Formats: sequence, structure tokens, C-alpha cells
Amino acid sequence: MGALKSVFRLLGAPFRPIGSLMGRFLNTPFRQATAVFSLAYVLIEHGIPRIPPLFGLPSAPVPNTVVLEYLVIALVGILLWVSDNEERWSEFKQPIHDVLVRPDRRIWRGALFVIVPALVATQTYLSARPDVSAPPSFRAIHPAPPSAITFQGEQMVLDGLENPLRSTGLLEEHYEEGKRVYYQNCLACHGDGLQGRGHYAQIFNPEPINFQDGGTIAMLTESFVFWRIAKGGPGLPNEGNPWNSAMPVWENFLTADEIWSVIIFLYEQTGRDPRTWELEEEEH
Amino acid sequence: MLVLPNLRSCGWFKGLLSSRHITFSSLLLAASLPFVPADLSAQVDGEVVYNQWCAGCHGEDGAGAGPAANTMLPRPRDFTLALYQVRTTSSGELPTDADMLKVINEGMPGTAMPGWEEVLTEAERLALVDYLKTFSRFFQGDPPTPLDFGRATSGGEDAIARGEEVYQSVECWRCHGQQGRGDGESAPTLNDDAGFPISAADLTENWRFNGGGEVEEIYRVLRTGLDGTPMATFSDIVDAGVITNEDLWSLAHYVRSLSPEEEPSVEEVVTAKLLTDTPLPQTVEDAVWEETERFYVPLSGQIIVEPRWFNPRVDAVWVQAVHDGRELALLVSWGDPSESPDTLWTDFGGQVVTTMGSEDEGAATGSGTADQLVVQFPQQLSEGQERPYFLQGDARRPAYTWTWQSDITGAFESIARGMGTAARQPDSEQHVRATAQHADGQWKVLFVRPLDTGGAEDLALAAGQAVPMAFQAWDGDNGESGSQGAVSTWYFLVLGQPTPVAVYVAPPVALALTLLFGLLVVRQAQVGSGMWREPDAAARAKRTARRKQLAGMGVGVIWLGMAFGSYQNSRAGWEAGYADLGFWWAIIGGLLAIAGLGALIGTWVHTRTLK
Amino acid sequence: MIERFNELRNTALLVSVFVIAGCGGGDGGGADAGAADAAPAESPVDAATAGNVAGMVTFSGAAPMMAEINMGSEATCAAKHSTTPTEEGFVGGENGGLANVFVYVKEGLESLSFPTPTAAVVLNQDGCMYRPHVLGVQVGQDIAIRNSDGLLHNINASPTENRGFNVSQPVDMETNRSFPVAEVMVPVRCDVHGWMNSYIGIVDHPYFAVSASDGSVSLDGLPPGDYVIEAWHEQLGTMTSNVTVTTGGTTEISFEFTEVMAGSPVPMGEPIDLLHPDGHQAVDH
Repeated sequence: MGALKSVFRLLGAPFRPIGSLMGRFLNTPFRQATAVFSLAYVLIEHGIPRIPPLFGLPSAPVPNTVVLEYLVIALVGILLWVSDNEERWSEFKQPIHDVLVRPDRRIWRGALFVIVPALVATQTYLSARPDVSAPPSFRAIHPAPPSAITFQGEQMVLDGLENPLRSTGLLEEHYEEGKRVYYQNCLACHGDGLQGRGHYAQIFNPEPINFQDGGTIAMLTESFVFWRIAKGGPGLPNEGNPWNSAMPVWENFLTADEIWSVIIFLYEQTGRDPRTWELEEEEH
Repeated sequence: MLVLPNLRSCGWFKGLLSSRHITFSSLLLAASLPFVPADLSAQVDGEVVYNQWCAGCHGEDGAGAGPAANTMLPRPRDFTLALYQVRTTSSGELPTDADMLKVINEGMPGTAMPGWEEVLTEAERLALVDYLKTFSRFFQGDPPTPLDFGRATSGGEDAIARGEEVYQSVECWRCHGQQGRGDGESAPTLNDDAGFPISAADLTENWRFNGGGEVEEIYRVLRTGLDGTPMATFSDIVDAGVITNEDLWSLAHYVRSLSPEEEPSVEEVVTAKLLTDTPLPQTVEDAVWEETERFYVPLSGQIIVEPRWFNPRVDAVWVQAVHDGRELALLVSWGDPSESPDTLWTDFGGQVVTTMGSEDEGAATGSGTADQLVVQFPQQLSEGQERPYFLQGDARRPAYTWTWQSDITGAFESIARGMGTAARQPDSEQHVRATAQHADGQWKVLFVRPLDTGGAEDLALAAGQAVPMAFQAWDGDNGESGSQGAVSTWYFLVLGQPTPVAVYVAPPVALALTLLFGLLVVRQAQVGSGMWREPDAAARAKRTARRKQLAGMGVGVIWLGMAFGSYQNSRAGWEAGYADLGFWWAIIGGLLAIAGLGALIGTWVHTRTLK
Repeated sequence: MIERFNELRNTALLVSVFVIAGCGGGDGGGADAGAADAAPAESPVDAATAGNVAGMVTFSGAAPMMAEINMGSEATCAAKHSTTPTEEGFVGGENGGLANVFVYVKEGLESLSFPTPTAAVVLNQDGCMYRPHVLGVQVGQDIAIRNSDGLLHNINASPTENRGFNVSQPVDMETNRSFPVAEVMVPVRCDVHGWMNSYIGIVDHPYFAVSASDGSVSLDGLPPGDYVIEAWHEQLGTMTSNVTVTTGGTTEISFEFTEVMAGSPVPMGEPIDLLHPDGHQAVDH
């Protein structure tokens, strides 16, 4: 609050607590600390997932352990601030002390005596009871691609490889061919909407990839996508959990041109652009 | 985009939304709202939307023969015939715009048709309705009038009981079977209007009903029929007074009651309850199964390795498991109208194979093999999370499978290194027993196997351990065999264990300790602020002594608690086969116990004079 | 059986035709069901000058064998048949006669219009068979679909020029339906009993008939003039013949289907709208 005040002073504006709400309710260090801590929790738990995608990176819910970590940092900051001068520190402690001591706070005291032990007991029970959840599974979503693969018996260097169809023939024709290939082969899992919601999608774990999501094909070079299509689930490195992916090995079904055309279809239909090799090099 | 749905809920606006008013409504929106997104205010070209998103299945000419059509049964709708299943109009009538929009929005459950609400804007979907109507001249006439369905009767046991009588008297069972699983005597000869084989709906899976599975939606289908399919309208028998409209509602309530209240959710872990005082069930009809939780495992066509199969009969299996510490009993149930091979179904399967015939190498050319179920485990559990490839393993990590077939007795164990490579284990290594029952369109197969067979190649099951498990199912009369069947990815089987003592002991202890700590804190604060009468020297000394006594006793109790924890660790160590761990924890536990007892006794000895 | 048919408010001839059709045993032997002169008296045709067309529909070659129907699952129906019923895709009679051929005037009546008959034509479901197997009606004329078996039938009509219907009849009952547009032919099937099927020819004049078991067929009361007559068979396809009807005379006609025609395309749902030829063109897009 002090820092905020000085900022306002620097700007030449008089500092006023924001409306009567601030003035009436956030008038003690304890309440201010509680408010800041609650705000921090709300921002971390519900704010971060709603940040619009930055640089093509979508936001995602924060895992619980990370939430805890962020909250501890926030708490340390708050404690530093409240104990920063002696007066504020004793002001901060006052309400806590009151609850512990004052006769007219008897009800609060009693409530704490019921709630806190109950919470501790529940938590103990939850951690002590036998666990029947699935073992945690760690899976690299975009594992590092090999620099070269063997495609249908022939060596194919992926590094720097561009989609050959983009420099030959008509894009429109490649799109139409890709559409045919997609509808005959990919549709059942990845769906008409390309959201990974085909009629078989929910049956597989992990679920099929959502091409409409900015975090998937838009972040990948076309050669990466070619590798994933050609080699499928069994071609994943170990960190990609190859035993679980239902993605077929498409080199057993499709020609290279069919795969390249379906890649064109994926980008055109979703209106996204593939990652370029220039960008790839800049970042490494 | 957010504004339109609100406007649509206004009565006056609904009237404007008939197709020919789309331009008008868009203009109206554009005029009244400054922030209308470009795609709504602009005239959407339904043909462009159709060609981009629909033609892949329905074909650019609307005849339902797009590139993907061959991988689907039922086939995509042929819009040129203007035959629509989901309608609020009489049999043979055209659908209303709202009917068509409903299907576009929600899709057709149980088929390949998805809902488009999240992919296309409202304007695009409305434009599609208009465009679809241009495929048939029938839409040039007057718009159809929806039927008056009246209001749903209240459900309840009486309505369901009456509905069951109606189900019998109007002979729904002829196609849908006595228990509604689509196994009626006429089911094998059903064709849709285009001549493709079609299955009678399994009424126990309302989340897969065309047109929706709620009572109102079921009633609607009874009134209107599903045009283009064998499902006829039952309006005429109400008009003729054979049954009343209320009876028809009761029938809808009864049909709804055949499915679970909620669409089953998919749980990754199947738990096998530990039976302590009931014997392990040896039959599929044992009463134990009625009290055992059912786990829903949906299956998809095997479309991953050649030859693929896009039309699996078995869309899910239900799994139940119990064990008694020595043997595991696993009951798998699934809907299958026939006990393959059944000659009544030979033609149906033949038609399915002709219709869905894959061009993949090795694809089946006929039907009539046995039904089959495979339960699959890893042959060995790995230290990490590694598992065999979910389609019966791979060369590096083989799968261990139990196979049941309708044309053999029992089941057998195999080791597989990829789809179709299962090699039966020698007779001396066969430990799994199986019994099967087919009744009212449902297979129930019970597998029983010792938790530890002692076989070197068999997976040993231990309580508390998460064991990967997957399922595959074939309906021979649906033309399925070899790799052409239904599959799931990995699930986990966890065998329940006796509840550890800690579950009962730890929470009260934690509760008591927290309470004690709280009392101490409060007391300390109150003493500090002088709320308690300042004691004289003697009392102060007594208080100090009491505190020491309390501290001593507390330390003793904590040490004893830690000793108990060490004992637990030690036991777990011994049981897991880590003798060294068990030994050292035992030593630590012993020392802690001695220390704890010592503290208690010492404190008592030194403070027993206190009064 | 006879009593039931007597309920029909129809011309005497039609009644007699159905009595023969219904009582002729399982061999499908019958007369010209849906006879032409069901048209009411206010026909614009001058009876004094009208002529007739009469003749035979025959088949030469080896007649295809019709499969026997297994009604084992339907005891009620099986009991109604003294001999094992067979499918009716091809019913041949004595002297090479071919039954169940729908014969009608295809061209030549464009300038005339005819009132819709008020009497219904019965399509009966009896012994899990459609009686008759092939029938004709006029545009807008009621078809009384009757269930005489007391068990579930559904009547699934799938026309292409008209809107279809699919009606269930779980008990003895009657349902009326009609078609507003001419169409030859509309297939009708029962999904509950896979073997049950029937064909309905819908024309917008009264000059149609179905060949009897001996192959005989006649179209009576035609105004003098030139006509194209078509004969339709569900397995052998169609044949046409040009005839001239003279005042008060009877013109001979004959259709000879041959073995070679087996498997030839059978037109179904052809847009036959003689009086309004441009009324139902599909939209071009």
C-alpha cells in the first residue's frame, strides 16, 4: 500500500483508497494481507488459464503443486511487507491475538477449534486411505524429432525439409487430394471439425490431437508433422509413450505425396501456418 | 456471436428466424448492434460452408457418397431424397428448419455425424439448413407443420410398468428384443431405404440414440418414426385408438428406463473388490455381481493396423472384478444380438462385409466366425510406466492375453507380440478358467485365475498394484475376425486390499494433536496477556512441573507413534520382498519404542508426586 | 374371407377380383387387380365410342425358381398357408402367362383429366404376404392398408417422386394413405418380415391393370386414339407397345418377356406425370 501511495505521489495525484470499500474494509494490515493473498490465489488459479495465447502459446490451468509454490512466494512477500516496520507488525498481529484472547471473540475461537482439527483429520484420512488411482503418466506432447527417418525403405532427412507439394502443382488440387485422404483415413478419430473429436476419439487415451488448437500443428514444421504421420504411435520415442498412442503408422497405408497433401489440407482447413525453418533456427 | 442466442430466445425474434429471413435478421442485427462480427453481418454462403465441412462425407452433390462414406455404416445422409430421421413432423413429411438445425447442432449420437455448434457460427449453420434444402425439390412446397406432442406425462414406476406392457403389446421386441438390446427376431433382416444393413437400436444405450435419448426425444421418435430406416411411426395406432397417447408416453418412459440414468463415465482404473466373507463367484449369475461396481470401457473399430475395421458391433464392454486374496474373478458383459455363428445372421454379416469391405490387405470376405473376447495384460510389469503396445504388444514387450471364443469351452492364455501373433501357452501353463452365457442379446463371460499362477510367463497380480489391462471384442456375425474387431487402449486393474489400520488410527490422532496444539497456543496467548490470575510461587512451580510432565509424556507418545510408523514400513518392506529394508525399519522401530516407553515411564516416575 | 371383402364399398368387379386374389391359394393366382373401370361415372370419356385394349403378357425361356419362405418364426402366418409359400418376384402361369405385370397407358391421355375415385383400394397383409403383390391406384386415391394377421407389420413405402411413409400396425387395423403424384412403381416392404414386399403403381387416369395368373390383361373404355402402353415387371423391366384404339373395337396387344431380360434394369419411381409433365422437375444447382 505504501509503495502504491508513493507511486501516486510521484504521479502527482493524491492517494485515495479506492472507494469506500477499500476505506471501510481494508483498513488494517491483516485484512489487506488477507485480501492480497486471496487475490493472488484467484489470479493464479483462475486468471492464468484465461490469459490469451502469447506467441502462439496457449494458456493452461496451473498444476496444484505449482499453485502451492506460487502461493508460498506470495505469502513470503506478504509477511515481509507486514513485518517491515514494528508498528504494522503489531497492528497485523492484533486481530489474530484478539481472536485468541478476547472474551467477545469466543465464537470465532470455538469455530477455529472445530474447523482446523476437522480439516487436518480429513486431510490425514485422505492421505492414509489406500490409493486406487492410476499411476501418473508423463508424456512428452511434442517429443524431439529425429533428424532423419527411413520412409518406406528410403532415407529421408527431416532437418530443413519443406513440403515438396508447396512448390509443385496447384495448392487447390493438393488441398482436394488431402481432403480425400483425410476423410478416408483420419476422420474417425480427428473428426470433421479437426478438433480431435471424431466418433472414435473418446475411446482412445490419449485422445487424438486437436488441429484447431494453436498449440499443435501451428507450432510445428511440416516435416515434423510428416514424421508423426508416417511413423505414428509406435514411432514415438519412449518419452512419448509409444505403447499408448492409437496413431497408425501411415507409411503402411499412404504414399509420401498423400501424406504431404493431407498436411496441406490440415493447415488450409484450420487456417493456420506451419512453423518455418527460419524460426526454428532463430530459436536454437 | 454472444448476442444472437439471446435474441433468439425472444418470441418475436424466433419467428423471424425461418430460413427466408436470414438476410433480414442479419441486417436487423447489423443495424441494432454495433459489434456484430463480420461473419454474422455478411451473407454466409451455405454452399461454401457445405463444400468445406460437409462434402467430405455427404458428397458435393449431396447424395451421401463423399470420400469418407465407405468407412461409415450407417452411411451419411443422402440429401437428394429429403428423408430425415429426426423430425417433429409425421412419417414421410419433411423436417422443419428447427429439426434440421438440431441435427447440425447436436450431431447424430452413435454415428459419425458430429455436432457443429462449436465449429461453425450460428449464421453458417442456418445457411447450411437453407443449402441442404436445395438438394431436393420437395422443399419447394409449403413448409411442413410440426405435430403437437402435448406434454410429457410424469414418469415413475407405474408409467414404466405400463410402458413395458405397451412394449409387449405393440411388439417392439420383434426388432429390439425382449430386453431392448436390438436382438429381436427381425433384427437380422433389417435394411435401410438405401438397402444397407442396419441394426435395431440397443435400447440400453440411450446416449447412442439417433435424435437423442431423453423421454421427450424417444416419444418424438415413436410418433414420427425414423424415416429411411425400418423404425415406423406409432402415431396411427394412437389415432386408431389401439393405444392412448398416454400409453405412448409410458412406452417412452419405459424405453428410457432401460438405460442408466446418466451416460456412463469412463474411469481409467477398474477396481477389484476384496471379498472377505463371500466366496469368489464361479458363475455369471452369482449375486455378488449385482453389488459389484460396473466399469464402462468403450471400444472403437480397429483402424490402426491392416486390415482395418470401421464398423465394430461391440461399442463398449462392462467390466466387474472381485478377488479373495487367492483368485481374481473378472466378469465382462457386452451387447451382441447373436451367438455367432448363427445362420439367421449369415446374410446380415455378409452384407456388412460387402458394404464395409475394406480394401486393406487380408480383409475379411465373409462372415460367420465365432464371437471373441480378449483381455490383455502386459506379460511383465515394468519399473517405470512402460507398457506393451496396446494392440497385443510388440516384439520388445509382449502382451499376456486371455482369449474367450463362442465356439470353444473356457478360455486360454497366450503370449502376443503384435496384433494376430498370439501364441497359446502350453497346456501346463493354462490357468485361466472361463464360463460364458448369452441371453437377451448380451454376452457375459467370467474369467477366474489365481493371482499368482507360479508360471514364469504369467503375470502375477498383487493387491494394491495398478496392472495395465485392455479389451478387444469381435462379433463374428457382423463379419468380424482377425484384426477386424473392436479395441480399447490401456486401462488399469487395481486389486483392493484390506483397509490399513492407519486409516482408522491416524485421523483421530491428528485431530487430537491439532486440538491440543490449539489449546496450548490459546492458553499461552491468554497467560501472556495477563488474563489468568498471576499465580504465587508454589503454584508457578507446580505449573512448571506440570508442563514438564506434559512435555515428557508428549515426547513419549510421539516416539511411540514413530515406532508404529517404523513397524508399518518394516512390514511393507518384508512384504514387498525387500528384507534389508524391513530389517532396518524394525531396528529403528524397536529403538523408538524403547525410547518412547522410557520417556513415558521416566516422566511418570519423576512426576508422580505431583498432585 | 369373402365376408371381409364384401365390406368393401367398391364396384362389383373389383370385389370379385379380390375374392379371387385372396382365395386363390398360395400360388398368387388372381385376376387383374386394380381394374381400370373402377373410375366413377362422371368420366369425361364417351362410353359409346370407347374401345378396349386386351391381350396377353407372356414369358419365354426358363422361369427363375422362387425361394420358399420360411415362416417358422410366425406360426400364425404359416398356418394360413396350405402349401409352403414362395417369394413372388416371378409368378408364371399356364401357357407361358406371366402374372403381376403392371400394364398402363403411358402416353396418349395428356389432354384429358380424370376425377379421383372415392373408393379405396385395399392392400391387405394376410398370412404375412401382401395381397395383392402388385396393385395400381389413381393419383390421390386412398389405399386402405389392412392388417389381417393380428401381429406387428410395418408398411414402409419408399417412393422417389412422392413422399413415403413407414407405418406400424401391431394389431388388426386399417390405415389409409394416398399418393399425390403419379409414379411407377412405388416399392413397399415390411421390415419385420423381410420376405414381404409389394409394388404400387400410381397413375393419373383409370387405364391400368395387373396381369392375371394366365397373363391376360385388359384396359377397357379407352377413347379412340393412339397410345403407348407400357408393361412393367419387377424383375424383367419394362416393355412398351404402340396401339391404336378404334371406336367400339378391341385392340389386341401382347407383351413377350424373355429369359434374356432377367436382371435388366427395373425402373422404379419414374416421374410419370402425364398431365403436368413439367410440374416436378428437380432443382438444378
